[in-house]
Amino acid sequence: MNRRTFLLGAFAGTAAIALGVNLYSPEFSLPDEGEDKDYRLLFGVLLPVMLDGALPDVASHKQAAQNRTLDAIKHSIDVLPDEQQAELFELLDMLENRLGLLLLTSSMTPLLMRSPGELTQMLETWRHSYFSLLQTAYLGLRELVMASYYACPEHWSRLHYAKPELFK
Amino acid sequence: MAIIDPIVTGLNSGWLHTDASQLQENQQFEADVVIVGTGAGGGVAAEILTQAGLSVIMIEAGPLKSSSDFNMEERVAYPNLYQQAAAMKTADKAIGIFQGRAVGGSTTINWTTSIRTPKEALAFWAQHKSVAGLDSEALAPWFEQMEQRLNIHEWNYEPNRNNGALKQGCINLGWEYTVIKRNVAGCWNTGYCGMGCPVNAKQSMLVTTIPSALEKGAQLISRAKVVKIEHHNGQVFALKAQALDVNLRPTSVELLFKAKHYILSAGAIHTPTLMMRSEVPDPYQLLGKRTFLHPTVLSGGVFADTINAHSGAPQSIYSDEFVWKNGADGELGYKLEVPPVHPILIASKTIGYGISHAELMAQFNQLQVTIALVRDGYHPDSQGGQVHLTPTGFTLDYPLTEAFWRSARRAYASMAELQFSAGALKVLPISDGMPYLSSWKEAKESIAQMDLAPLKTVVASAHVMGGCPFGEDEKLSMVNSYGQSHYLDNLSVMDGSIFPTSLGANPQLSIYGITARNATALAQKLTDGKG
Repeated sequence: MNRRTFLLGAFAGTAAIALGVNLYSPEFSLPDEGEDKDYRLLFGVLLPVMLDGALPDVASHKQAAQNRTLDAIKHSIDVLPDEQQAELFELLDMLENRLGLLLLTSSMTPLLMRSPGELTQMLETWRHSYFSLLQTAYLGLRELVMASYYACPEHWSRLHYAKPELFK
Repeated sequence: MAIIDPIVTGLNSGWLHTDASQLQENQQFEADVVIVGTGAGGGVAAEILTQAGLSVIMIEAGPLKSSSDFNMEERVAYPNLYQQAAAMKTADKAIGIFQGRAVGGSTTINWTTSIRTPKEALAFWAQHKSVAGLDSEALAPWFEQMEQRLNIHEWNYEPNRNNGALKQGCINLGWEYTVIKRNVAGCWNTGYCGMGCPVNAKQSMLVTTIPSALEKGAQLISRAKVVKIEHHNGQVFALKAQALDVNLRPTSVELLFKAKHYILSAGAIHTPTLMMRSEVPDPYQLLGKRTFLHPTVLSGGVFADTINAHSGAPQSIYSDEFVWKNGADGELGYKLEVPPVHPILIASKTIGYGISHAELMAQFNQLQVTIALVRDGYHPDSQGGQVHLTPTGFTLDYPLTEAFWRSARRAYASMAELQFSAGALKVLPISDGMPYLSSWKEAKESIAQMDLAPLKTVVASAHVMGGCPFGEDEKLSMVNSYGQSHYLDNLSVMDGSIFPTSLGANPQLSIYGITARNATALAQKLTDGKG
């Protein structure tokens, strides 16, 4: 919990400077440690933007691919060491929390209610930020999503990649 | 034709293996020698010491996985076989680090490239780092011994197209290139070395020295993490370990190991971390400092024909054209190699998302990737990183210096020139903000101006070295040139952490050869010549 609090402070402090927010005794009410959370709703909003052009065109196939990716994201998070998990949960919690959103994106509008264009703008702002913590947030989400999507053999057809069949 | 799994066969024949995740009670173990870690150093030491008639226990924090488990999928291999599920990073997250964590260590998942320690590195160590008795001639018999043991030979088959482009570019430009020696026997040329060899062709520690030691009665404890070296008055008297569950998280079971002699082979980062946590004597505050990577930058070349960079021996050609060009301690040199291109690896080590990333991935099989491994630790402005303890683990601070970025810029230019020369239609330096470049002329101008910065520029490394240097001068080293601790009589270090600089070459054969020398000397000492 100490580390969590410390990191939260680091994120929040930097974001506050970045966004010119005057923090006045903020009260963060974060959910519990997150073991039972899989952030499906959050990633469900981000996947169509981050995987635009990679997801299948047919709606039912696209939905299936997103669901597989959401499962893979949960698996990817599960195998991370505790410290990395804690950092990631902290970011994800902030993205599900209005004040956290304000700090990270300068808007309290829940991600679910933002358009793809607005989500892209959020990612681009982080990506090109001068603040390493925002860059890190972008890179962390990006790596998690990309690694999880391309972990699934079902998503390799566009790559024309398949593992060889050995006599096993 | 079923592929026989030698580990399953060996275990069925009665090898002494304890999976600590299955233990319910605290336990104590004793042997002549206890070795922490089963990678290139631990594996070689275990075989040599058991052959000398000593009883040996090998402790490994990772799991025992073998060919039956190696299904050629990154999503299985990374969590099973790599430190931090292959997501390990430096403290600022600017460098991704690939290091093994399973029985066999990084040798289970490396790409088989076997290179003797460069003579320039050995000369620098002798001249500046007080390393004694380790020139190319003195080491030659040890390299020969290990090359024979691990079937290390030149890969005399047609390189795959990924390596072929590197070779062709070098030929066209008149640059040096070398056919790589690989530690394989009966290789199927599939290209999945990084996920554990599915056909046991790679002569990793997992299928060579460790089985040999187990055959002679050595004991292997897997999923056990050594957390403390108990020492007093210049002697180690025990190692304390924590059993780990199947997800490699600590259980309540504690293990105690007692031996006449202890060897640390947990690899750079983990050997120094263990020593620091145990507060072993370190009067000159050397532990964890000068930890080295080969910080590596990437360049993607899109070709008209099919490259299939995932298929075939992953590394069979390298170029040392630029490694030592400016002298050992001059501007940082870089080695040119290629990596195997598999979906997770390339998707995560490229840039952007959405349409641009999808378009890059759609060219997956036309993509030739060249990498430049920068040689750290020689130039005054290239002092590597530092390991720090945290309450539950460690961080590695690894500043990327101006000297590194100058080298990276030159490396991007060399890689683009090489890729265009080999026939690339366009080249993409893997650094955020760079467009596809369509000619060498355009590349030259664009790379000269490109923004390079941590987090913006993709930097990765597979080779972790240093942090517990060897040498004769106690102001510069923690162990002597035989790996023997300066301060604890019955403690040795045999792994890549003893290197006082990076190597400028893939490290496995350096660790094999130097460990063979040092473990042989230790065996003689422990058996008093009776072995």
